[in-house]
Amino acid sequence: MSVGFRAVQWNRAKLVYDAILVACVVLYIGGYLLVAHWLEPPKDLPAAIDGRIRAFGSCAFIMLTIILCIGPLARLDRRFLPLLYNRRHFGVLTFLVALAHASFMVEWFAVQNALSNLYDELTKLADYAKFIGFPFKTLGLAALIVLFLLAATSHDFWLAFLTPPVWKGLHMAAYVAYGLVIMHVALGVMQSDRNPLIPAMLVGGFACVTVLHLVTGWRERAGDRGTAADGEGWLKVGPPLSIPDKRARIVTAPDGERIAVFRDGDEIGALSNLCAHQNGPIGEGRIIDGCVICPWHGYFYRLADGCAPPPYTEKLVTYRVRLSNGVVEVNPRPLPPGTPAAIRCG
Amino acid sequence: MRRAHRAVHRALWPVLALAVALGLTMALALRPPPDPPAPPATQESKP
Repeated sequence: MSVGFRAVQWNRAKLVYDAILVACVVLYIGGYLLVAHWLEPPKDLPAAIDGRIRAFGSCAFIMLTIILCIGPLARLDRRFLPLLYNRRHFGVLTFLVALAHASFMVEWFAVQNALSNLYDELTKLADYAKFIGFPFKTLGLAALIVLFLLAATSHDFWLAFLTPPVWKGLHMAAYVAYGLVIMHVALGVMQSDRNPLIPAMLVGGFACVTVLHLVTGWRERAGDRGTAADGEGWLKVGPPLSIPDKRARIVTAPDGERIAVFRDGDEIGALSNLCAHQNGPIGEGRIIDGCVICPWHGYFYRLADGCAPPPYTEKLVTYRVRLSNGVVEVNPRPLPPGTPAAIRCG
Repeated sequence: MRRAHRAVHRALWPVLALAVALGLTMALALRPPPDPPAPPATQESKP
């Protein structure tokens, strides 16, 4: 959480995350270049640069695949939540690796005094009507531009400026970038190189992302079914003890928005299931010292009124709750953010 | 995620996934055949 602008909000967890990330990237690229050199030593400078193009390109593809798998993995198994914590730095590093891949490609043309060939390749309009023979570098360039936009707007300043719903919508363009990258490789190196590892990498990565999203989407659909309401519109949640202590049960309002009903001992409160930071699933978090902690990035809010404790200023929408015949009920009409609404049921 | 965001995600994602799957399948199917191996060098007939 932050109370003012800071260029990068480092903390120990983020430093460890980034150190592991950079070490993995260095190991992959170093290992790739070593193995490639051992299998087939480059004959000349362009061949050596080609090895770097492949090393950085495949690394960026694998990183983007992992980034797109983190979201569904974290929904399916809480043990993957630490990967989500600093996913934005993962995305920025992916852009830098992809940028290095593109730079080596330009260098490959430059060392052969053939930059005009690159220009011709990108501007030969007739080739854009072909499927096999399509200027695949254009697809890679488009993906790089999307990745740049996402990296450039990854800071919390842009998140606050654009608002979480717009920011999340913009960052869904990562899927577009992934599609462009797959087609960049499929219409590029896969056409000229018969190495079976190339299609295996593409199909395997795409299948991983697709299957994980399908499974997660299937599970999420169950949560979208509206909860039964009584004549006054209150939604039944269940007996107090049916809500795990320090945790929440999530109910769905008739308008489809989700409400997280938490129990902290004998205190019961209902908050919007949307974290004020990135609209993360507050209801999947836990309560520590009377505050609900968002599982995504650790933003925290008092259960009593949905306010972040000072000096922080974020507030969540709250909902009225009541105990009726031993059953906790929640009124789906949202209260203004920060309105005290929790009750004691002891 | 808000309900609207979930709805957009669920509408957009399968379309993108189908387009990419189709493109990838076509790119695999239409790959040019590998170059044939170079023919062995002709031996000069010796008397």
